[in-house]
Amino acid sequence: MSTDDATTAANDRLADREDMIVCVDVDKFYGDFQALKGVTATIKEGEVAVICGPSGSGKSTWIRCINRLEVHQGGDIVVDGIELTNDLRNIEKIRSEVGMVFQQFNLFPHLTVLDNITLAPIWVRKKPRAEAEAMARALLERVGIPEQAEKFPGQLSGGQQQRVAIARSLAMEPRVMLFDEPTSALDPEMIKEVLDVMKELAMSGITMMVVTHEMGFAREVADRIMFMEGGEIVEVGTPEHFFTNPTEDRTKLFLSQIL
Amino acid sequence: MQDANQGSVDPEFQQGIEDRESSPHEIPSLPVGQWLRQNLFSSWVNSVLTLFGGFLAFFALRGVLNFVFSENRQWDAVRTNLRALMTLSYPESQYIRVWVSLGFVAGLAGLSAGLWANWGGVSVKRVSTWLMGTGGLLAVCVIVREPSVILGSDGKVVRTLEGSLQRESFLDAMVNRSSWWIAAVVLLVAGIVLWRRFASATHRGSELPVTSVVFLGLGLAVLSLWIAPYGHYAFISETKSYVAESGRTVAFSTKLPWTVMLALLCSFFGLGRLLQRSEYGGLIKGASNLLWLVSPLTLFWVVLRDPALDYGHVISTDLPMGLAFGALGGAVLWSLTRTGVGEAGRLVATMLLGFAIFNWVAAFFGWYPMLQKARISFLLLAFAALLAPNFMGEIAKRRQLVLGWLGVTALVHYLATMINTPSTVEVQSSEFLGGLGLTLFVALIVVLLSFPLGVLLALGRTSKFPIFRMLSTSYIEVIRGVPLISVLIFFSVMVPLFLPDGMELAELAAVLTGYTLFSAAYLAENVRGGLQSITKGQYEAADAIGLTAAQRTSFIVLPQALTVSIPQLVGQVISTFKETSLLAIIGLFDFLRVANSVIPAQSEFLGVKREGILLVAIIYFFFNFTISKYSQRLERRVGLGER
Repeated sequence: MSTDDATTAANDRLADREDMIVCVDVDKFYGDFQALKGVTATIKEGEVAVICGPSGSGKSTWIRCINRLEVHQGGDIVVDGIELTNDLRNIEKIRSEVGMVFQQFNLFPHLTVLDNITLAPIWVRKKPRAEAEAMARALLERVGIPEQAEKFPGQLSGGQQQRVAIARSLAMEPRVMLFDEPTSALDPEMIKEVLDVMKELAMSGITMMVVTHEMGFAREVADRIMFMEGGEIVEVGTPEHFFTNPTEDRTKLFLSQIL
Repeated sequence: MQDANQGSVDPEFQQGIEDRESSPHEIPSLPVGQWLRQNLFSSWVNSVLTLFGGFLAFFALRGVLNFVFSENRQWDAVRTNLRALMTLSYPESQYIRVWVSLGFVAGLAGLSAGLWANWGGVSVKRVSTWLMGTGGLLAVCVIVREPSVILGSDGKVVRTLEGSLQRESFLDAMVNRSSWWIAAVVLLVAGIVLWRRFASATHRGSELPVTSVVFLGLGLAVLSLWIAPYGHYAFISETKSYVAESGRTVAFSTKLPWTVMLALLCSFFGLGRLLQRSEYGGLIKGASNLLWLVSPLTLFWVVLRDPALDYGHVISTDLPMGLAFGALGGAVLWSLTRTGVGEAGRLVATMLLGFAIFNWVAAFFGWYPMLQKARISFLLLAFAALLAPNFMGEIAKRRQLVLGWLGVTALVHYLATMINTPSTVEVQSSEFLGGLGLTLFVALIVVLLSFPLGVLLALGRTSKFPIFRMLSTSYIEVIRGVPLISVLIFFSVMVPLFLPDGMELAELAAVLTGYTLFSAAYLAENVRGGLQSITKGQYEAADAIGLTAAQRTSFIVLPQALTVSIPQLVGQVISTFKETSLLAIIGLFDFLRVANSVIPAQSEFLGVKREGILLVAIIYFFFNFTISKYSQRLERRVGLGER
């Protein structure tokens, strides 16, 4: 699979958009083990990219490299024109533009839902408290749990917690949202409520990279699906291409196991 | 942010917690016979163990009672010396200062209790159980204690021909102890009545507010001062000894002040309750917290010590200096918070810090003289200048920093002036305060000061920067490898030798420094335990929403780490409090030393030690048990162990 294919396989809708995330030959090592082997991809502004693949294929590692939760050792990552280097100022700038939703929610258990959401806007964006709270309540409305604002995370169900986590990321008004297996830790009946929020988000035109095993979601919402295995991007294509006519044997094998 | 979070806990959530506290799952209680069979005599091994334990408890109780009520005990030694045990030799004429300080603390305590009024309640069921338990225990004690020794008409013990003591008969003993019986019966009846009336199914949840129970207890204690005669002593200067003063009792000289204390506590509690709901609630909470922080220093050095101010010096030097630092520092900070100041601000702040540190180095080598408070002020100004970028921009924020600076300057200069001025209070021992007062003072100061230091050390030890990590680790390990006594001796004996000319450290200040440094190392280890319990996900989430490392630490990591380590931190506070008794070794007259060596040296009570030491133990236990109970409450409240 060549670089050109990876970058040009996006939908026509995105053809004239600007590049939001550019990864060139990204390498990542854990000791001797190479987790990412020259990952190269470009995500356009407003694109929804779903990354799938067997566990241990490097999906999570890759998107965690994009906001520097993991440090890559080789290659370049450029987010919205800012190159990710060891410069702390660049890292802070990128982090305030990139929201992230984790598999384990990672809400702050000692703060109320409202404080979870307003913390960063108040202290990073320096918004007045009243304004931040108004925005937080609007966001809770958007993710469908306005009545939970005063509770603590421990009092919410998994699905509600994950929606709070999404609201917390959105409160920073990010241009990019990264989702690291957002539904994997949820009970089946709660997956839908989180996916609904993510679908609504995808429609709103924000750039999204989603690591997930929810193939229904991928088929419905993704502009592109990337299949990774062994630290490499094996196949990239539109959902239509990916589900009906995959070219690579490894992709076919994966799909036969998962569908 | 932090205050707002803690202050604005959702009432519904709070309610939920209280419900959980007050009504645990009701297990239907078994009839007594069945309960005994199930729990104590379920097998023959258990029966043997139960009997054995019962015998042990019986003999222990009997031993303690016989000790306390033995004809050999001289409880007068304690009763007479109550004031010595509390404050040692603080002069009678100056005693009003002690009362003023205590009144201040009582008022502040009442205010804070009222402001943070979420004390919950004690269920009536529990109160009735307490009453019944105490009554039952009292009855058992009355029976278990050996019959008293018969005293002859001359007040001496009567011996039989073989020389053994003659005791009254069991029946006589029971009759003679009728007042104890009455007390036991009253308690039991009160408990049973409460139980019958309020512990029915419908009333099971009914509660008495904790505060009213506490106030009732304090009220009874104060009332006892008006009824029971407590002792009094006099200090004979010719013989340098204390003697009991007959005809006067402490109760007569203290009943009025203690009543005033209680009135202050109650009225400020009411005031706090009123203010809590007013719009200034948050502001007053902050102010009362600040008062708690500065009150130990202020009370000790200003109110208790009676500095004889030289007003000429105050007007010619102290006041102008304070004003100059306030005004010039304020102007510097105001200009450093301009929006366009950029890198120049950082440069100025760094230069100020360099200058401030150089002053201390110069002081150490004695290159040029400078008033100590000028050195401190320059250092504080440098820190404020380093903080300036956080207050940049809006006028309101800039004003905050400048006002904060003015407040700190006023406080520091006030304290420095007061501390530098000699005391006019003449006392018999080397320190003007001793006894329980000294013990509490040292414990309070050490806990207050070592806490921030311990947190910083813990953060340093877990920091990413190798130099911080190395410094904190070696500090902690060195201190933990050295016994407390050697640290105390080092600071009281050695440190004054190393100080440059012109720098002096009072005995007490030296000891406080050493003890604080010691206690901080242990606190640091406890906090580190809490820090390690924070999951990686919390750090990642904080990073992902763009918090800086400092924000992450103060809003996410520390609050959770400190909550987790509450039990260990409270343990550390308790042991700090108990270990203040080591102060006796370097010559301070702490609580224990008064009981152990001051009272037994009095001509009237030569060698009478045990009574005082028992009382000291009971008072230590009372304080520590209260702290421990409070911490358990706190743990439940923050939901520790439920996540």
